[in-house]
Amino acid sequence: MTRNKQFFTKFCTFIILVLVVNMALNAVYNHWMYYFRLSRNQDAQFEAYSDTLKYLMLGNSHDRVNPEILGNGFSYMTPKESYIQTYYKLKYILKKTNKKPENIFLSIDPVNFSPRTEKDVSFDGYWRKYLNYYEMAIENHDPGYFMNWFTGNFCSYVGNYKYAYMSLLFINVDLLKIKNGYIPARNYKNFAKEPDREALGFEIATAYLSSYSKKSVLGESKYYCKILALCKQYKIHLMLLRMPMTDEYLKYARKMVDLDKLDREIIDITRKHCDDYQVFDFRNEFHGKPEYFFNADHVNPDGVKIISLKIKQFTIDH
Amino acid sequence: MLFNSVGYLLFLPVTVALYYLLPGRWRCVFLLAASYFFYLIWRVEFVLVLISATLVSYFVALKMGQIPKKKQRLKYLVFSLVINLGMLVFFKYLGFFTDIVNQIAGITGGSSVIPYYSILLPIGISFYTFQTIGYTLDVYRGVLKPEKNIGIYALFVSFFPLVLGGPIERGRRLIPQFHINHDFDPALITGGLRLILWGMFKKIVIADRLSIYVQPVFNEPGYFNGIAIVLVVMLKMMQVYADFSGYTDIAIGSARLMGIKLNPNFNRPFSAQSISAFWSRWHISLTSWLRDYVYFSLPFKYHGKIVKWRMNLNLVITFVLVGFWHGPYWNFLIFGLLHGFYMIMANISRPFMSDFNRISGLTKAPRLLQGLNITATFLLVCFSAFFFGQHQLRDSFMMIGNLTDFSHPGKVIIPLLKNNDFLLGILLIIFMLWFEYLIAKKSFALKFLNKPLYLRFTAYLIMVFFLLVFGVFSSQNFFYLQF
Repeated sequence: MTRNKQFFTKFCTFIILVLVVNMALNAVYNHWMYYFRLSRNQDAQFEAYSDTLKYLMLGNSHDRVNPEILGNGFSYMTPKESYIQTYYKLKYILKKTNKKPENIFLSIDPVNFSPRTEKDVSFDGYWRKYLNYYEMAIENHDPGYFMNWFTGNFCSYVGNYKYAYMSLLFINVDLLKIKNGYIPARNYKNFAKEPDREALGFEIATAYLSSYSKKSVLGESKYYCKILALCKQYKIHLMLLRMPMTDEYLKYARKMVDLDKLDREIIDITRKHCDDYQVFDFRNEFHGKPEYFFNADHVNPDGVKIISLKIKQFTIDH
Repeated sequence: MLFNSVGYLLFLPVTVALYYLLPGRWRCVFLLAASYFFYLIWRVEFVLVLISATLVSYFVALKMGQIPKKKQRLKYLVFSLVINLGMLVFFKYLGFFTDIVNQIAGITGGSSVIPYYSILLPIGISFYTFQTIGYTLDVYRGVLKPEKNIGIYALFVSFFPLVLGGPIERGRRLIPQFHINHDFDPALITGGLRLILWGMFKKIVIADRLSIYVQPVFNEPGYFNGIAIVLVVMLKMMQVYADFSGYTDIAIGSARLMGIKLNPNFNRPFSAQSISAFWSRWHISLTSWLRDYVYFSLPFKYHGKIVKWRMNLNLVITFVLVGFWHGPYWNFLIFGLLHGFYMIMANISRPFMSDFNRISGLTKAPRLLQGLNITATFLLVCFSAFFFGQHQLRDSFMMIGNLTDFSHPGKVIIPLLKNNDFLLGILLIIFMLWFEYLIAKKSFALKFLNKPLYLRFTAYLIMVFFLLVFGVFSSQNFFYLQF
């Protein structure tokens, strides 16, 4: 009996130790994680934003339009953001803040509709304040979202050693460079100088697009439709973007997805749910110009400038 | 419910706690209910197959137990084998044979002669079918008395730590353990928890990380050159080992929490110095099952004399079965054939090799000889890994064809060496092999257990948080659950 008692005492001590270390790691990670710091900074800037909100840019790191070039805009794009996250963030903005954008930029690239990423939720340590995990789990019949809630609240560092490492590298980063929420595009390397661009294009296409089923190109698109419905409800004009792709990425993307069919299906579904939209197609904008890219699927600051100026010109012309 | 899921992390402690809280006579009933619940979570229909396999082998064994003469027991054995193997063939191999018949019909100009039905494979069927067959054969041979308690027997077939992916247990070892009232033993509990932690570590930190590199190459082999393929095929063997041995450790650890001892399934297979040694260390419960119930049952004599060619033929048959057990794919058949071929070549070349080792002076440098043997065995096993999986056979040959393509090796190697994740994967493989070498030494375990409590706690904490921080948490299935 004494032996058993000793065992339980040791066992409980160990569990308490695990919980204490876990709490400490979670607190440190949430405080220092680079993306969390970026996103919290955006939140603070958005709260302080007092101009007319003519343009609101939503989406992830692929979708870069510089609000400073357009004027009266705010960029709320966050890394790895999926439609499910965009939907809840937009809902939060429209219902819980007094800011109503006139136009919203949203990308409609194959990566956004990929079955792998469409409902993917990451960085729950930050997103827990926007997302309704219970609703997500019920609507999608996926109890996995409860796990997202749990990790987001209690152990957001789990499985994220890469981001912890990255946060150490960027520990002294100057967040003041972020203006109107816009996180400048990365520029420390150039895709044109990569020795094997073909391999990089293939790698990105495989990572993001290989989960597409060839039979039915477009998946459920539930949260894309919900975003459209919100825009319609609040009379927001949608500016849909097809962001530039490198030739190498595009080549392998076409092998994995019927892009023309996908584009048609996206427009069909958009037409069904929303009547106030226009499409900006920059997919082939930098054909044969790898120097405008940071990597296979991200434009660099020069590329962003060209895209932003073109949109600006369009808004002046129309 | 997967071992690496949150569901299992809740299920296991609750089951273990209730198991010890219940009075002895109710424990097996409870374990049976828990095991069926564990299995039911996958799909309700699958339970019907499990129940059928249990009932057939239970009643057949009971009947055989009443018959003193072995010859008279044969018809019951045949009946049981037909039903149990029939279910296995129906669920697992029907599509494969249908394809063959239809392809032959297509070649000869006819149309499809058998309609193709897509049948869902009941999870764990290959494991529990072999377990029931082994039990029936033991009763038939008279080495095991049939279990009269149907609850205990049903628990033997469905015991949750092993029903999905083994180890394939023998009745004479496992059934008696269910009759014993196991007292709560802290040493067993800590031993079980240690094994579970190590199993989770191998699965979540090592296997799932390696799969990030292995999967794309096996999915799209045409895009990769020789260097990438050589690297990946080696990583694949490590991935499969970390995955399946991780699974087995969790299974053995879970059973140990309830005082049940399961057989080990792996014994540092990559330190094997020959293919036969490899197979005595890899998936031991399957290979020993096939050795005992198939290999030794095949005829060794020809015209009254034991002949070598018969032994070799038996080896090939056994290894083809090893391959085919994994799944109804040509790949697995070739995998089995290849290992059968390796074994025959080892038998044939043994005298020549010992002469060569003596003449070349290798026998005087045993460490070097050992290293060469281990390397050669590892490379042969890695080569067979081209055929180990459910990918297309033409992809296997495409990868082998691309092996000689050494164009732009720098484009493969340099980015990998710059990739922290890849380097971490390699370091983890080295750590896994080194740590298992240490575990195999009894003195290490004793030394560790005699360390002060704070040191042991620190070691466990490091392991737990290393797993949490460096783990790949994308709910990947265990590799062997597809079989």
